[in-house]
Amino acid sequence: MNPLSHDEMERFQKLSNTYEPDVQGPLVSNKQSSHSIALDYSNADSTLATKTNALAVTHPECRIMKGDGNCGWRAVAFGYFETLFALRDTIRIEAEIQRMKSLTALLEQVGLSDSIYEIFVDTTEDVLNQTHAAILGGAQDESFLVETFNEGYTSEAIITHFRLLTSAWLKINSSRYQAFLNMPLESYCATRIDPVKTEIDEIGLQALVDCVIDGSGFGVEILYLDRSQGDVVTPHQLSSNRPNDATIRLLYRPGHYDILYPANNHLNMAPIVNLQYEMTSDYSPWDQSALGFDVNSSLMAIPNLMQDPSFGMGAPMSPMPSVSPTPASPFRMSPQQDVYSPPMHSSPMHSSPMQTHAIPSIPISSPPAQLAPPSAAPPPMTSLPSRSSEGPQIRLNPLVMKPNLSRSLPVSPPFKK
Amino acid sequence: MDYSMEDTQNSAPEAQQASKLNTSGQKGDTHNVTKRLQSELMQLMVSPSPGISAFPDADGNLLSWTATITGPTETPYENLRLKLSFAFPNNYPYSPPTVLFKTPIYHPNVDFSGRICLDILKDKWSAVYNVSTVLLSLQSLLGEPNNASPLNAQAAELWDSDQAEFKRHVLARHQDLDEE
Repeated sequence: MNPLSHDEMERFQKLSNTYEPDVQGPLVSNKQSSHSIALDYSNADSTLATKTNALAVTHPECRIMKGDGNCGWRAVAFGYFETLFALRDTIRIEAEIQRMKSLTALLEQVGLSDSIYEIFVDTTEDVLNQTHAAILGGAQDESFLVETFNEGYTSEAIITHFRLLTSAWLKINSSRYQAFLNMPLESYCATRIDPVKTEIDEIGLQALVDCVIDGSGFGVEILYLDRSQGDVVTPHQLSSNRPNDATIRLLYRPGHYDILYPANNHLNMAPIVNLQYEMTSDYSPWDQSALGFDVNSSLMAIPNLMQDPSFGMGAPMSPMPSVSPTPASPFRMSPQQDVYSPPMHSSPMHSSPMQTHAIPSIPISSPPAQLAPPSAAPPPMTSLPSRSSEGPQIRLNPLVMKPNLSRSLPVSPPFKK
Repeated sequence: MDYSMEDTQNSAPEAQQASKLNTSGQKGDTHNVTKRLQSELMQLMVSPSPGISAFPDADGNLLSWTATITGPTETPYENLRLKLSFAFPNNYPYSPPTVLFKTPIYHPNVDFSGRICLDILKDKWSAVYNVSTVLLSLQSLLGEPNNASPLNAQAAELWDSDQAEFKRHVLARHQDLDEE
């Protein structure tokens, strides 16, 4: 074997030192179909192929993180902001801004000076404010967050902020984590948490969730894709909270993290509900034949509904407020959703049948006081504008009237925004 | 200047991505780097550490600095003044500065071109490090070389075997640079 000359060795060493893996793609991708993940594994080990195919059904959408060493940190950070935005609760964001500020005490506690951490903390706060403003401004979707996270400097600042908080948290709660580490905690932080572009490991991820995410009340779940026995990815709950509508779901493949979106969550996201209304200025009455079932037998049961030609106007312009307030589990699939909700449960005030369908659990779980008995006298409709008046009108989308829609719909492209 | 550690995120040829980043992104970065470096400079002037100093070069470019460290007492470098250059990348502090000894120095972890082998300037760089922490680390490297991974193998050997001879080499190589 020919030993390499000194020059050659030096050349190789230099190449090795400057080597950067050629990772393509944005830092945070747009939502995409999880079938792309299944495709990646179609020729791989059959366990992986089976699991990824099952994953594409249970979690039809994903968001790919750039594999540059920050992906796990970035996935959690992006998931945090995205979840916060999806709740569309400005009070909650204000609380988060305060909480993030209060976490700065941890950085002081481990002796970091504000001249060092200031730019990182400020960036997180800026993006929280941006999210707040986006909600007030009625932003349609989270694309502003995708853009923000693709700005290198902003992205790095938030990740660094989360790294520093995690590092400080580990040092302050060392007794809780040291047993899991094979080196002193100080050097663990200096070599595995603090350095830029160091991949997050399990202990780091747990500490990140404990320190930064848990206080928000959000859940964090990891789905492990590996060759272990079974037909589906192995889920693991990292947080003590597990709210269905505010859980960050990560897909872990050895050395890499991405974000996953489950099927039912998608259907119940506020913007999707919004799409069930169609704003139009040339209103035309319903075409019964366009509907796949007899609308009248159901709708006639709603007092006063069909008599009033402008019944569609009774619906609020934006259904969002009635969808977002309960963060717990109203959006979970319930047996009631399998059949078309009997309109009898609907209050005359909620004269829009599609609203009844979009959030069937709301009328049922509402306090009875709000529900007028079906036989009650119809409320006066005089305050409603007549349909000939100017301005946009709301026309029912026939599709949403279809029973069992929730079963057949989740990923069909026309409903994706 | 060769920024081997430069962040690929900012240089990757992603036309589609680049167009998505608004043009203020690049300006914003420069602004952020400048802001951070100004704050570091302020910090260095308000609360200077003994034996280290640093200042931006006179050319008005805040991305290149010249620094000085004084050799710690009870080391072969005692009382020697050593000049260094700092070149900051556009995404500082998310990539380390390129730091070189300008003053000729005989040291196990520095080669004859002034290049330094120090983990925190390479893969262990963290955004919490700054000019001041780098200079303090280099100062302690003078008294405690890492002989496990030497750039100057002869110096590493001599450090372990003959301190007096080592010091003779240090003084022979040292040469005060004229003030620029």
